[in-house]
Amino acid sequence: MAGNEIALEALHLKKIYHRGSEDILAVDDVSLTIRKGEFVSFIGPSGSGKTTLINILGCLDNASAGSLKVGGETVFAENCKLSESDLTKIRRRVFGYIFQKFYLVPTLTVYENVLLPFAFFRKPEAKADPMEILTFLGLEKRIDHRPSELSGGEMQRVAIARALVNKPEILLADEPTGNLDTKRSGEIGEVLKTLNQKESLTVLLVTHNPTLAKIAHRTVSLRDGRIAV
Amino acid sequence: MPKKINIYQVAYKNLLRKKTRSALTILGIGLSAWVLVSLLGFNKGYESALNKDIDNMGFQVLVTAKGCPYEAATLMLKGGTGLRYMKEAVIADILKHPEVEKVTPQLMAAIFDPNRGETGGINAYLGVDPTTFPAMKAYLKFKQGVWFTDPAAMEAVVGYEAAELEQREVGDKLLIPEKNVELKVVGILSRSGTADDGTIFVPLRTVQKIFGKEGLITAAGIKVNKNANMNELENKLYDLPDVQVVSMAQVKTTIMSLVSTAKVMVFSIALIAILIAMLGVVNTILMSVFERFQEIGIIKSMGAMPWDVFRMIWTETVILCLLGGAIGVAFSFALSKITDLLIRRLLPYTPTGSLVIINPRLGLLTLGVVVAIGLVSGVYPAWRAARVRPLESIRSEGE
Repeated sequence: MAGNEIALEALHLKKIYHRGSEDILAVDDVSLTIRKGEFVSFIGPSGSGKTTLINILGCLDNASAGSLKVGGETVFAENCKLSESDLTKIRRRVFGYIFQKFYLVPTLTVYENVLLPFAFFRKPEAKADPMEILTFLGLEKRIDHRPSELSGGEMQRVAIARALVNKPEILLADEPTGNLDTKRSGEIGEVLKTLNQKESLTVLLVTHNPTLAKIAHRTVSLRDGRIAV
Repeated sequence: MPKKINIYQVAYKNLLRKKTRSALTILGIGLSAWVLVSLLGFNKGYESALNKDIDNMGFQVLVTAKGCPYEAATLMLKGGTGLRYMKEAVIADILKHPEVEKVTPQLMAAIFDPNRGETGGINAYLGVDPTTFPAMKAYLKFKQGVWFTDPAAMEAVVGYEAAELEQREVGDKLLIPEKNVELKVVGILSRSGTADDGTIFVPLRTVQKIFGKEGLITAAGIKVNKNANMNELENKLYDLPDVQVVSMAQVKTTIMSLVSTAKVMVFSIALIAILIAMLGVVNTILMSVFERFQEIGIIKSMGAMPWDVFRMIWTETVILCLLGGAIGVAFSFALSKITDLLIRRLLPYTPTGSLVIINPRLGLLTLGVVVAIGLVSGVYPAWRAARVRPLESIRSEGE
């Protein structure tokens, strides 16, 4: 269950893209608070700004205006824009990401793919043995297989294991079931729900799928870059 | 099950994605390394082989009839065609100089032998003085028999390779074509690794008589006293009428200048091969970076810093160059004989010893150069990869 501690706090976020002489307002004055352990899904039609918003919340991008606090710490605010290196440091500490495509390294085994983040950074509180995560995700018998030998659902579960290995505080899932059939989508939804409930992991889920969105504690609908009431 | 993975393991496994491409790149680098190490080995080997040939001649100065200096240099080392003659009396004049320790007259004669090889060939006979020549060529050892002693005997001493070619042993007869003269083989030389291996030595007077060159010689080999002033002697010898003086130093210079053209050509080829290999490496790694654009972005979202990505891509380049370089160096060791043969076909004159000397130090030096080239080649692709922003990859995913 979600507690009272704040995981993310966004105030009046704006994101403007410049294409030639045209300004595109992708996120328009979004204010949002997400508590630790909360499961929030973001839904909306294509172009509604949900991916842009989650990228900003996940420190993958800077906002054009507004402020963002992660765990009470200001990540950016007016006249304060973090460098790529500073954003990386926050991402290392706080976030795990899963995407529509799995981006597993084809020449590495399942086990090695899950270990991959450790090649670059290992949090002190990271799981000592990734087998625990792999077992939780039902992949314990597939650890020596290469991604090409896995089904789409299994590949996404490997991607989830890889996102979890450094014990993130917040898991960002951007259309994680976009490449999967209904059954596999349901399985991934269950995994995210269990992680949220048993591990108290804060989960932000972007999806087009209204059924999947319903597993969250709260659903944020976006339209034209704004939170729809 | 190891609970760690490092950047170097990831870099190595990345190269296994496109095995054929990686293998071809390694092969390209290997070929360049082979050319490079062979060239460096040739630089070292040629001069050493030339020095050995000259040292084994037994004399430091050769006096020939006036003519082309290149021809004289060839005559000095290999025997030559288009022979010019001078009077044998020149020997007495040469001996008058106090710098001269010994002189030996030589008469080179050549004749077409229709039975030599498949289409016939030139048989060369070197008329030598049995009293002075063997003493100057003290390093020559006999496989069978001894030197002839009578300056007018109808005898011959045959070099190792010439004996094998003619299939002669001591006691056999050796026919001089056209002249219908038979010589008795009295000695077969052991292999010396010099031009003497292919020579048929005949007493001087005999050659003069058979070929109608009485009183004539083609060259006089001079052994100079220790501490003698070589330049002074050369100047004095030039006072003799219609002679040409070729010293060891001149021969070296003449041949090295002939060879330098070939060296420049080979060096240019090596340079081009290295440049092509470098471009190949840049192309391979850059293509791999572009193909993995999104994946690199995801790696950065996992917490990889730009330097981590740079290191990973750079390592891939170094692995390619290290493997290619090692294969090239191994090839150069294994195929040094073939390289030697290829170079022999390319050059106008080659000494008899090994032309390509490749040692472990040279191999390591080449490996170092190839890896250094790899490090330079890898900078741009690694820099491009390090600049990838996670967001760019995620955006391109949606496109």
